[in-house]
Amino acid sequence: MKKNFHIDDFTHPGGQVTELDPAELSPLPPPYDKREKPPIRKLTDEQSTRMDASLDGVVAIGLTPPKSPEEEKAFIDKFLAGIEKLFSTDDNWTFLQPLVHTLEYCVKCQICSDACPVYVSSGRQDIYRPTMRPELFRRIVSTYIKKEHPLLRKIKDSDIDLNWQTLARLGELAYRCTLCRRCAQVCPLSCDNALISREIRKVFSQQMGIAPKEIHEKGSVQQLRVGSSTGMTPAALRNILEFAEEEIEEKTGRKIKIPVDKKGADILLIHNAGEFIAWPENLEAFAIILDAAGVDWTLSTEIAGYDSVNYGVWYDDFQFARVAIRQSQAARALGVRKISLGECGHAHKAGIVVADRVLVGDLIIPRESSLPLLEEIVLSGRIKFDPSRNHFPVTLHDPCNMVRLMGIVEPQRRILRKICPQFREMTPHGVENYCCGGGSGFAITQSTNFPDWRNSVSGRMKMKQILEAFQDAPGPEVKKYVCAPCSNCKGQFRDMFEYYDVWEKSGILYGGLVELIVNAMADLKKPFIQWEWH
Amino acid sequence: MGTLIIVLTYIAYVFIVVVYTIKIVAWLKLPPHIRWDLYPVIHEENYRYGGSYYEQPEWWTKPRPRNTWRSLFYSLKDNFYMGEYFNRNRTYWLCLLPWHLGFIFIITFHILCFFAAVTMVGGLEITAGSPQLLGKGFYYLLLLTGGVAFVAGTFGSIGMPIVRLADRGLRTYSMPMNFFNYFFFLVVYGSGLFAWLMLDPTLEEYRAYWLGLITLTPPELHPLTVLHIVLFDIFLIYLPFTRSTHYITRILAYYFIRWDDEPNLPGGKMEKQIASLLERKVSWEGKHIPSGKSWAEAATESGLPETKKDTP
Repeated sequence: MKKNFHIDDFTHPGGQVTELDPAELSPLPPPYDKREKPPIRKLTDEQSTRMDASLDGVVAIGLTPPKSPEEEKAFIDKFLAGIEKLFSTDDNWTFLQPLVHTLEYCVKCQICSDACPVYVSSGRQDIYRPTMRPELFRRIVSTYIKKEHPLLRKIKDSDIDLNWQTLARLGELAYRCTLCRRCAQVCPLSCDNALISREIRKVFSQQMGIAPKEIHEKGSVQQLRVGSSTGMTPAALRNILEFAEEEIEEKTGRKIKIPVDKKGADILLIHNAGEFIAWPENLEAFAIILDAAGVDWTLSTEIAGYDSVNYGVWYDDFQFARVAIRQSQAARALGVRKISLGECGHAHKAGIVVADRVLVGDLIIPRESSLPLLEEIVLSGRIKFDPSRNHFPVTLHDPCNMVRLMGIVEPQRRILRKICPQFREMTPHGVENYCCGGGSGFAITQSTNFPDWRNSVSGRMKMKQILEAFQDAPGPEVKKYVCAPCSNCKGQFRDMFEYYDVWEKSGILYGGLVELIVNAMADLKKPFIQWEWH
Repeated sequence: MGTLIIVLTYIAYVFIVVVYTIKIVAWLKLPPHIRWDLYPVIHEENYRYGGSYYEQPEWWTKPRPRNTWRSLFYSLKDNFYMGEYFNRNRTYWLCLLPWHLGFIFIITFHILCFFAAVTMVGGLEITAGSPQLLGKGFYYLLLLTGGVAFVAGTFGSIGMPIVRLADRGLRTYSMPMNFFNYFFFLVVYGSGLFAWLMLDPTLEEYRAYWLGLITLTPPELHPLTVLHIVLFDIFLIYLPFTRSTHYITRILAYYFIRWDDEPNLPGGKMEKQIASLLERKVSWEGKHIPSGKSWAEAATESGLPETKKDTP
């Protein structure tokens, strides 16, 4: 029996608002229904002193408590000034209309709660309801920004006692939402509670200079400084590409020169740089397909031109715009006709859709997903395929950014139906899919015990979906493939499958779409997919 | 008393129309925002599975057919069906739908009353036994809309607080204002229901009231009918202070946020609007943002290797 939760519980200093009980987490199918270790590690004493974990015992940003009341006051004042800026056209034209709409018109009907995989997977912990963040936000606005009369606040139950810890918890809570926007999809009033998570993150970043270091300092800042969020320099990129060319020759017998900085090429292909480091087979497969199809393409070595990621889309409008602009500048410098984005969901949404209203003049260069291009190649007959080479169970993960948030649903399916005889869907799928659990920067956030939370809570629903998709062959003796055309989702699957020992227990491998395409190419002597856990 | 309700009714209608208009105009005047579309987008060709024009290679060279009628029908029909609630919380839906239908039907009833009164001035007899078909039609239509409004509104106003208190999530997010609204709306609909069932089963007094309104002739009405009319007028004045504009803004949000998939093409109107917004000065205080500079400058100057300031 859950204790009755009250919003005021959130603002009481000291203690922890919610304790996650492993027994309350939503059940997984066997053999994952029994866990020997606790799902989330406790922080060490040293970590607990240094970082506030009073929300749920988990740390994503880990704020350090203030040393004096003056410091606390300055922190609160600065935060409130940031909230005020969210309502200014000058500072926040980018999201003012959707923000105001959600704050004014959400009736807190809770219809979005059960659409949220985090809330449901957590055993329906009240703090994870999609309405929780907006409610706190609304109370802050009512009490400190609009300064509504105390009687009115009483009637509207919109009072809030602001202290440092409340804000620290709110900051953490903004990083318990994957921005998958399933909540917004079911809202009959078109409110978007996920957006509020992003707006809170924005205040922390744009006003306070606070964001998870993997996303800001080691993410977008590093990308703008070095060229890639991975830290990979253009020189390192060239080395990796040489290695990839050798691997292609070794695997396929084909000598392919991966084009780099080719002026006037038709397409600038931008991969998530994670592929170069962790999954080079993905960029190799792209090179094999485009070469076989005779496509005129190139990679770039310009800053941000070889890394499609744009972490700003999760937390900071300026970092977002900077990266989007640099990517367009890279394309302009090469004089390409269009930009095509490789297998990365958030890069799709950021580069194609969100950047659309930041780019002007000659920076408006046509941008598209690589999936329709791949579909055209696969279905055109330009390359011969032998689907029997993919004769193993395959299911498809829909990256939220690519599918629910930009409507690219069928091209990848038409490809899989053609080349994978045992393709089966997850339930639900398409625009109603569930997030992998690593969305909005979670897949790269590795601080303290956050990965435990990500694997056991935010990814739990996806884990269940995958297992259910393969329920006809649950054991490890039948090798199975989760096709995830998104680098971030793959990162989450890598971590989550390792966390649950999925390869050993169920024989499930994850990978991209292009690897399956190349694996089915009739004239390749050896299978391209190597059934090894990595 | 007759004069009072005529004046009060006019004030109430003018007030609600003016305040609603101000609110809607304020909503519409908010600046264009970054695209934040969410699929399915109903005017899209492949809306059934949530597909978009991005599914085509070189989408910018292809036509983007939009079915505006389909999207309009979709956005309006939910006011009468509330499908998400039906699918996700049937008990809540069972009270919420009548509560909302009460509102929709009482407004429809009043609009019909207005037109009925106009025809009455023109000599139409509105009774069950009217020799004119239109007169009969108005009679039964008024009976239907008024009856549904009073019954559904009363039922919804009783059911809503019960559901809200019984459901853990709804209870947590309830505020005193919710319960005041339920109570007040119950009094409004309940008084109408009582007057209709006990005093005025043919709604003759209502027609007389509306005839008096448009001819500016104070009508003679039963005190309980007057009480209901006064309460209804206060209800109209009160509505703009609630979230009731959501009947309209939810549709605007579909078109201007959720389904806003209009691309920014070179030389287009959108590009000009964006260029002008990029000139606005920003005041964010994060160390990586050059406060006081324009949005465009902040997005291009800082954060680059040669000019990067300290990171937080």
